[in-house]
Amino acid sequence: METCDSRSHRFERRDLLITSVALFTFIAELTSRLSGLNDQVLLRVNGLAGRSWLFDSLVGLTQENDLLKAGIIGCCFFAAWYSGKTTEQTRAGRKILLTTLIAAVCVMATTKALSKTIFLPRPAIESQKIYHLSGDDLVELKRTNVRVPLDEESQKEHRELVNGDVDSNDLGSFPSDHAGFFLTISLGIFLAYRRIGLVALGWTVFVILAGKLIQGAHAPIDILAGGFVAVTELSAVRLIAKNRLDSLLEVLTSWSFKYAALSSALLFAIVFEISSTLFHVRQALALLAAARHHLLG
Amino acid sequence: MATTKKFTNGSSVLKIFGVALCALFLLTSCQVLGKDGLIIMTDRSYKATVFMTNKSGFGAPDGLRWFNGKLYLADEGAGALEAWTSDGGIKTLLDGQFGARSPEDLVIDPAGNVFFSDDDAGGVWEVDAAGKQQLLAGKDKGLYSTEGIALAPDGSIIVGDTDAHQLFKVSRGGDVSVFLGREFGIAKPESMTFDDKGNLYIADNEDNVLYLLDTNHQLHRVIDRQNGFSPETIFYSRGSLYITDSQSGKLYIYTPNEELKPVAAFGGQLRNIQGVTTDDRGDIYVSVQSDLKHKVGYIIKISKETAVS
Repeated sequence: METCDSRSHRFERRDLLITSVALFTFIAELTSRLSGLNDQVLLRVNGLAGRSWLFDSLVGLTQENDLLKAGIIGCCFFAAWYSGKTTEQTRAGRKILLTTLIAAVCVMATTKALSKTIFLPRPAIESQKIYHLSGDDLVELKRTNVRVPLDEESQKEHRELVNGDVDSNDLGSFPSDHAGFFLTISLGIFLAYRRIGLVALGWTVFVILAGKLIQGAHAPIDILAGGFVAVTELSAVRLIAKNRLDSLLEVLTSWSFKYAALSSALLFAIVFEISSTLFHVRQALALLAAARHHLLG
Repeated sequence: MATTKKFTNGSSVLKIFGVALCALFLLTSCQVLGKDGLIIMTDRSYKATVFMTNKSGFGAPDGLRWFNGKLYLADEGAGALEAWTSDGGIKTLLDGQFGARSPEDLVIDPAGNVFFSDDDAGGVWEVDAAGKQQLLAGKDKGLYSTEGIALAPDGSIIVGDTDAHQLFKVSRGGDVSVFLGREFGIAKPESMTFDDKGNLYIADNEDNVLYLLDTNHQLHRVIDRQNGFSPETIFYSRGSLYITDSQSGKLYIYTPNEELKPVAAFGGQLRNIQGVTTDDRGDIYVSVQSDLKHKVGYIIKISKETAVS
């Protein structure tokens, strides 16, 4: 005779199986729809490229020119650092900005590590004939119909791509490190000082990141993932800072008031690096790694 | 009490962030997004297929050669010389038990005798057509770290040595003489091949130069430190030179007096391309060392779209 308990266990197992199948189907359907949406949005936004030399050159300028691309964000950071009607407001704002810098470094490390692990090429690369290793087979990928901007730099890069000159950085575009880094900084500025933060966020979204989509350098999913990393890590660092690093931040902000000249000089160096997406810091770290490799073997 | 609540809330939020990060990692690791090996066909008239994987029984091969329907492999990962046939699979011809450690490149003479170099054990090794193994010339004759190997028109073996920065001529009797001395300035003779006119192409992947030694023993720089070019293995067939570049992960075809033409760019775990050869039909075979230490490798076939595979 079947006991009540064993019958209940059997029903539980069946329910679990049905739920698992339903969940799996839902995730598969969602992934498929998101992938379709990702392609649609990319093609719509990238569709703006390749029609006007002037428009493409302006978009290209905002992507290549550090002053236009990130200098604005650096200026916003500088303005937020000195904003505040009272010393207490300024102090609170600086604490947030210091936390933001820590988060930005973490975000940069995460996005770089992820993009080196996941080989998802830029949409512009995916417009070429590509085979992807799937298990033990090479499967030809569906080609994206990306338009090539008419500005000189994009045309030169396209010629290089057709010639097989592919930068390894172009094979790992997921997630977008620009989205991660600049959204972290902009959100940090927004939390410290709303109005300046809105300018920084607007510039990041409508100029820097939209430019990436227009040029076919990133797909929406790259930017969304970069944004996700930014929001998650900024929130986590802020939470940790609140619980564990408050005294350290207090010391640093007090120090920035006491030694205003020196802190301004340091701030200049930090903003300079923000404007170049930590390029020089990464260059110095790469040199250190190479030196270690050469000296220690 | 309030502190405890704050702490509990903080832990929960941290847990949520942890789960979110794990979800991101899982999402990005899945097949939908993860593309861990890529080949970009810069010449769209070609297609790429996986010809062999480790499941065939090799480690991580470097040099490759077809001969009489057999594919010979200088299997650097497994430390062995192997031969593959479609019906018999992989067969080891010489391995570590005989002293080989890291076979690099190989050549086969018309009689079916196989000669290979070894950059760890040094020397020139031979497995003759009957399967007899021998060390033709070893470290005792100055061959410390042998890399490129070619079969000269007179039947002797030309081998490059990285430690000596020289090319040596090895007779079938095992006598070694200097073929191209240090004064020629070749830093690392990684690969070599003769063309049908008797000129010797030499790939130097340290100085990033492709040399040509003509029949008058004059050395010419054919491709000299061209931006991003570093020749790993070269193979001459039917008027063209097939070149792999492991630094940039590219396969080129070079036809004398024409420009270097990229055929494919390899990325991800397929980036480290090593050996190259062609079969009778002109299909190109490239060996990939994805992970030499853990013996993970592939052999990729690159063929014309119209060709019957």
